[in-house]
Amino acid sequence: MQHSEGTNPALDDSYIYVCPSSELEEDDLIECEIGTETIVVGRGEGNVYAAQGICTHAYSELVDGELDGTCLTCPLHFACFDIRDGSVLEGPAETPLRIYKAIEADGSVWVSNERG
Amino acid sequence: MSDKNTTVITGAGISGVHAAESLRKGGYQGRIVLMDRDRQMPYDRPPLSKEWITGEVDESSVLLRDPAIYEKLDIDLKLGVEVTDIDSVRKTIDTKDGSSYEWEKLMLATGSTLRTLSIAGDDLQGIFYLRRMADAIAMKQHIEHVKDAVIIGAGFIGAELASSLSQLGIKVTIVEMASYPMENIVGREVSEYFLDLHRRNGVDVITEDSVTQFNGETTVEEAVTAEGRRIPCQAVIIGVGVSPNTEVSHPQLEVEGGYAVNEYGETSVPDIYAAGDCTSWPYHGSPIHVEHWDHAVNHAKTVAQNMIQPQSVPYTYTPYFWSEQHGSRFQYFGHAKRWSKTVLRGSIESNTFTNFYLNDQNIVQAAFISNQSKNALPVRRMIQQQKAIDPDALADESVALKKMQRRLI
Repeated sequence: MQHSEGTNPALDDSYIYVCPSSELEEDDLIECEIGTETIVVGRGEGNVYAAQGICTHAYSELVDGELDGTCLTCPLHFACFDIRDGSVLEGPAETPLRIYKAIEADGSVWVSNERG
Repeated sequence: MSDKNTTVITGAGISGVHAAESLRKGGYQGRIVLMDRDRQMPYDRPPLSKEWITGEVDESSVLLRDPAIYEKLDIDLKLGVEVTDIDSVRKTIDTKDGSSYEWEKLMLATGSTLRTLSIAGDDLQGIFYLRRMADAIAMKQHIEHVKDAVIIGAGFIGAELASSLSQLGIKVTIVEMASYPMENIVGREVSEYFLDLHRRNGVDVITEDSVTQFNGETTVEEAVTAEGRRIPCQAVIIGVGVSPNTEVSHPQLEVEGGYAVNEYGETSVPDIYAAGDCTSWPYHGSPIHVEHWDHAVNHAKTVAQNMIQPQSVPYTYTPYFWSEQHGSRFQYFGHAKRWSKTVLRGSIESNTFTNFYLNDQNIVQAAFISNQSKNALPVRRMIQQQKAIDPDALADESVALKKMQRRLI
């Protein structure tokens, strides 16, 4: 794991580095781990968001799905979630995704282990 | 009972439950009666051959919905009920227990029926078919003390059970009539890959042979094949396919490989609709029949919309199924009875590939994906678009599938 130099007041110890901002383009998804939890990070409508990386319906990694605007689609049974708040937009999932805080600072994307 | 303002749904499987729910959520105000001959609360079938049989999930987690949902949505669930007669003039449906229900709209969501075999000795204990929860429970109890099992049929159910039973430490032998299992769906190369995957995971696969006799005292002890093989076993599971369940009949109801429906789910009888496994439905202009979970869900949802607002939403979903075997995930999109060529993207040896089935105009009709979920949504779009594609680019993993589609448009 690599940390940028200097400290940004927006970043506390709960944040981990994900990738350079330039590597996460619009509609891109990337996966990272916080502790034992798999997190999916995406850029939708310009902003970065982070959510639990495994679908709440059946075991499937959401990083293999697609982000279209703020709608995150699972590649196994095509459940759709709003990546901003985790809410279910389309079944078969019934449970929302857990959302984590994600920010851009110092030209990088950071995700917090605290819930968003 | 006199209530014309009622929709009756026969079959509370995945289609029936989704239809009932979609009717209510779509604003239907009338009474909804959801009936099934099974006495169990409606449950999901895919886990029965996978994580339920291996004990990774329990019985309550295979329920399709929390039982409280039916009351919340005011869905009148009638379990253990068998339909005996439909009257399309009086608009009634009669059941074996002597009840009669009036309806304004009727949906047939009767699913499929197991194909069965008649084999000498098949009344011995330890021989199972898997369709209902009750079958799954009986099988799960029996296999606890089993060392060797024979599975008849190397279709998806047989293959998934072979994988699940191996995971439980049971020595599995599959007996399959064809030379290459599911070759008609996935082609020779992928079929060979399936055979290899089983064998690498310790499953014996015998092809071009069939079981002709079971021997044993009270419980099955061996399976004897036409080629004279004698396979010791304490359990047998037969998975030789299903056919559409069209037992609920009516003289005017057209049946052709399932209840024939149009793109709105309407049968040949006014106000009678059908959805899911029990139907044949138009796909790219020709009637097809599939037995897939995803289709059963989406077909039911769309047909329910058309029951509320007639002919409002044509059904245009791309057929899809998935399977999990020996730690690999398979996904299949589209429908191709025949194809002109196949294009392989990735490598079969690496266990990570997508095989495309193209027609003579280089339009992708179907695709089989092994452990490449990332390709699932782009492939589905590609099949929906039905546009010619350069086979060389398709095979080239350095050209992103997404980009190829942008170029197409």
